[in-house]
Amino acid sequence: MTPEALTEVEMITVVIDGFEVTVPKGTLIIRAAEKLGIQIPRFCDHPLLAPAGACRQCLVDVEINGRAFPKPQASCTIPVENNMIVKTQLTSPVAEKAQKGIMEFLLINHPLDCPVCDKGGECPLQNQAMSTGRGESRYEGVKRTFEKPVAISTQVLLDRERCVLCARCTRFSDQIAGDPFITLNERGALQQVGIYEKDPFESYYSGNTVQICPVGALTGASYRFRSRPFDLVSTPSACEHCASGCAIRTDVRRGKTLRRLAGEDASVNEEWNCDKGRWAFKYLSSKERIATPLLRGADGELHEASWPEALAAAATALKGKRVGVLVGGRATVEDAYAYSKFARVTLGTNDIDFRARSHSDEEASFLATAALNAKTTYFDIDKADKVVLLGFEPEDESPIVFLRIFKQVKKRALSVVTVAAFASRGSQKLKATLIPVVAGNEAAAISALEGLTEKSVVLVGERLNESAGALSAVVELLAKSNAKLGWIPRRSGERGALQSGAIANLLPGGRPVSDPAARVDVAAAWGVESLPTTAGKSTAEILAAASAKELDAVVVAGVDPLDISAEALTQLLNTYVLSFEIAHSAVTAIADVVLPVAAITEKSGSFLDWEGRPRAFTKAIEESLTRSDLRILSMLAYEMGTPINLPSVAATAREIAALGNWDGAKASFTPAKSNKSLKLAAGEAVLSSWRLLLDLGTLQAGEPNLAGTARPATANISQSRADSLGVAEGEAITVSTARGSITLPAHITAMADGSVWLARNSDGSQTIATLGIVGGEVVSVVKA
Amino acid sequence: MGLEEKLPSGFALTSVEKLAGYMRKNSLWPATFGLACCAIEMMAAGAGRYDLARFGMEVFRASPRQADLMIVAGRVSNKMAPVLRQIYDQMPGPKWVIAMGACASSGGMFNNYAIVQGVDHVVPVDIYLPGCPPRPEMLMDAILKLHDHIGHEKLGVNRAQVIREVEAAALAAKPTHQLNGLLR
Amino acid sequence: MAENPLVPTSGEFGLEKAAAESAMIPNEPPASFAKQLQGFWVTLRAMFKKPNTVQYPEVKAPTEARFHGRHQLNRHEDGLEKCIGCELCAWACPADAILVEGANNTEGAQFSPGERYGAVYQINYLRCIFCGLCIEACPTRALTMTNEYELADNDRGKLIFEKEDLLAPLRQGMLMPPHPMYPGSDDGSYYRGEVTGSHPSQEPTHHA
Repeated sequence: MTPEALTEVEMITVVIDGFEVTVPKGTLIIRAAEKLGIQIPRFCDHPLLAPAGACRQCLVDVEINGRAFPKPQASCTIPVENNMIVKTQLTSPVAEKAQKGIMEFLLINHPLDCPVCDKGGECPLQNQAMSTGRGESRYEGVKRTFEKPVAISTQVLLDRERCVLCARCTRFSDQIAGDPFITLNERGALQQVGIYEKDPFESYYSGNTVQICPVGALTGASYRFRSRPFDLVSTPSACEHCASGCAIRTDVRRGKTLRRLAGEDASVNEEWNCDKGRWAFKYLSSKERIATPLLRGADGELHEASWPEALAAAATALKGKRVGVLVGGRATVEDAYAYSKFARVTLGTNDIDFRARSHSDEEASFLATAALNAKTTYFDIDKADKVVLLGFEPEDESPIVFLRIFKQVKKRALSVVTVAAFASRGSQKLKATLIPVVAGNEAAAISALEGLTEKSVVLVGERLNESAGALSAVVELLAKSNAKLGWIPRRSGERGALQSGAIANLLPGGRPVSDPAARVDVAAAWGVESLPTTAGKSTAEILAAASAKELDAVVVAGVDPLDISAEALTQLLNTYVLSFEIAHSAVTAIADVVLPVAAITEKSGSFLDWEGRPRAFTKAIEESLTRSDLRILSMLAYEMGTPINLPSVAATAREIAALGNWDGAKASFTPAKSNKSLKLAAGEAVLSSWRLLLDLGTLQAGEPNLAGTARPATANISQSRADSLGVAEGEAITVSTARGSITLPAHITAMADGSVWLARNSDGSQTIATLGIVGGEVVSVVKA
Repeated sequence: MGLEEKLPSGFALTSVEKLAGYMRKNSLWPATFGLACCAIEMMAAGAGRYDLARFGMEVFRASPRQADLMIVAGRVSNKMAPVLRQIYDQMPGPKWVIAMGACASSGGMFNNYAIVQGVDHVVPVDIYLPGCPPRPEMLMDAILKLHDHIGHEKLGVNRAQVIREVEAAALAAKPTHQLNGLLR
Repeated sequence: MAENPLVPTSGEFGLEKAAAESAMIPNEPPASFAKQLQGFWVTLRAMFKKPNTVQYPEVKAPTEARFHGRHQLNRHEDGLEKCIGCELCAWACPADAILVEGANNTEGAQFSPGERYGAVYQINYLRCIFCGLCIEACPTRALTMTNEYELADNDRGKLIFEKEDLLAPLRQGMLMPPHPMYPGSDDGSYYRGEVTGSHPSQEPTHHA
């Protein structure tokens, strides 16, 4: 809630345990008591979920206008009122006795699992049984037992014996995630949490139910029996997966990350995160991690080398040569800044690009103008009158943005419009109006959008650049309607890399390379005479130049060549490759020098989320010996004789802050035209694709439990195409290009007839590797 | 070290080693280094019921010049560490060290800034003796294990060979932070 | 000049009295040679006493029954481990000498009754102070202490005891885990003492 909204609220004064407290109207008693520092025991109450009054643990005595309720009332369901007098367990023997009675009831069927239960040590039931319960049980009967544990998905295990039926998990799934796969079945003593028989609990947000479960009824399969709360060292961190910018908590034991939990940040992720952010961290401790620098010997093999050896070899290879720099989308702000400075100062080039994905010049121009200046935040989504999604699937590509939109859809039926190939499950949950497009024709669809006001929010995904002219149409639309723009890349580091100038046309702080004043500004701050003026190359151009031997070397930092194109790796074969990587990859296999860098838990730094909000994090594994990119770049630049003087993350952050943002003349957008007109013959369609949240991404490797809930890949086609092909739902169809083909079960959905959709990087559906394209091209579609 | 080091090496060396070892192990002279509770047990070991005199080592010397075994009995504070090292340095070789009890061996339960986390940070330790404090039998067990070790000590070229091997093994060993055991 | 209160006067501490008393002790030569020999009588008498020395390495006097010696991880009557990997011993340990990691018992590999067993169990005897708090903390009586005390070693690494060093040996009727639980039983039956030996069907023929 914004400050101005607060002033309009009526305030109410109540007396709790003899103390007066004034709170806004509508506040629940339990929260008013919290404000006084009075802790009423509770299980089902959660500030972000609607009240349920399910566990009855928070019973208190309530009196209004001198009339007392005949029995104690659940303080988590009753809002405060004027002249209300509340007596909690601290002053009312009746309330205390009621709470103790409820605790005894809850414990009657609760098994004595604490020694083997993952929640043991951080369990609200354990704690409150100590504070509110009896020392000895009076119950001598046989406890109710259920089969345990039941895997309700590959990553969440349910132990019904432990459940206290607080309905937190079911309310979360229903109210926050919109995936009501999990419900309360049966009634009375047999009531239990269950899943629908046909639908496993395949929510992208299922991990949150594990976190908010006040007992150990829901546990995560990956963390099961791995550790105890008192073993773990917790560090507040930021999630490295997408640009949502979640605050998370990293729990480390003996130098190894064992689990991650959603952190609390009311203005970003509230208290939630997605399953990818929670469970995709096994790559950090993978066997493929590189520990020492590797140097390609005369025998053509990589050999372990010392740091001085490797740095000297790299310095010799790069010094005075034509070098391009591919930064990748998960560099921190400080690392991206170091790459930017290294390219400009040490290498003397503007050939640097963070876009390890499809990209265009139109996009570069869009990023340097509209995206860089976008100031839209999560609050703007809360207040929006309409949200337009362009080339953006929030549930798959930025799950917390999805939760934020869904919250408003649920609360006030916020209108959502999506320009996409078909209505994904996320769009369906948002009740979005689908404007079906054939890939490549987005520009026309965007230009035709109407009814936007200055309160509307237009969320543009990074994928929109794949359709020529679409971003130009967005700029036009914004100029026409004054709507707010949010550019949401898929990766956590892209907004920060843009801000840090890890792109050919920008210097740090959004300074255009083409502006002499901006160059002078940065050159003065960096203490160099001048900065390179020639126009830099984009990722594709760098790769093409490397292949054509127009570049002598390429610095590749955390880039998967298959994210760019099917040919990217072969294009690097002809050139000297210096790889900065955390683990062995396709690039390190062909690199001449490999320098191991610190992964997210081993360094400090910050990301910028899609809003441009800094998400700083600190080192979670203190004893780690790995070095961050900027530290290595500093050493390398020193070795090459033109130092960049970035000794530490703190020093880099200070330098970035001192440099500040560009306040001079802004660059102007260069529009591009949609020029493709594709003719479709029979049996042909235009491919669209995007990545699902859980897919074959490198950072999700080594976590089979998480992969188990990935949505299966399908080939989506329209009803009329299905009819003409003669396929029914679930029958296999083959999508092919000259390069290769993908055969998948067909899924018939409402979409443009000229279109076929595939998941971009899922199991059995890797469009770049197999078909060689991401979309917007003609493919043939036949019955398999 | 001593005169035995000057002996000519060759076929007779093994017999000389055995003889020297036998003599050395039966005439250990411990230095008093009682620092805390363990020292009480060490004193008990010297008294009648346990009677270290049976092993020829009843006299605890107050002067390091007359001792060749240091029983570090108790927790070593950081302030005591240089003193301990000096006493060790003043002892004539060959000399041995027993870290008696958890504190001397590793710092024990005193995992804090004041206590040396294992006396092997300061002096080379030959035998680690767990216990808090170890009962006199445990100390005697440690002493007997040390006797066994002394009895088999190499001399001359054999000794140099052993030192080279130990050094090579230590260089090849995996760093402790990479040792995982059964851990996943 | 005022008297300095910090300087004791001669009357304090009974100094004068002590001096007077010591002056009263007669310092005379012994009355006779026999009197002189009286002192040696004590020594002479001791020579005929049975020596109280325990001939340690040859004779090992038994310790008290509740002596805190090396730990042991016990087994149920059918050989399954009692340890459930709950880490309460590690939590109780004041010296941080115990490290435990639990893991899932699976259908093919059941080490203890119930869902969880201790996959990693290490006690660092260089840190352990034999206080026995771990024994008190153990909810399944899996961890107890033996009377064994000869632990000294010349290698630090060998003094970190792993699970296999600590596990109790198999007694008559016990089978080496992993093997399934006693047929028709659940973990509760084990804790109620209803399992008193192994059953032929538990033999790990089909798992080998």
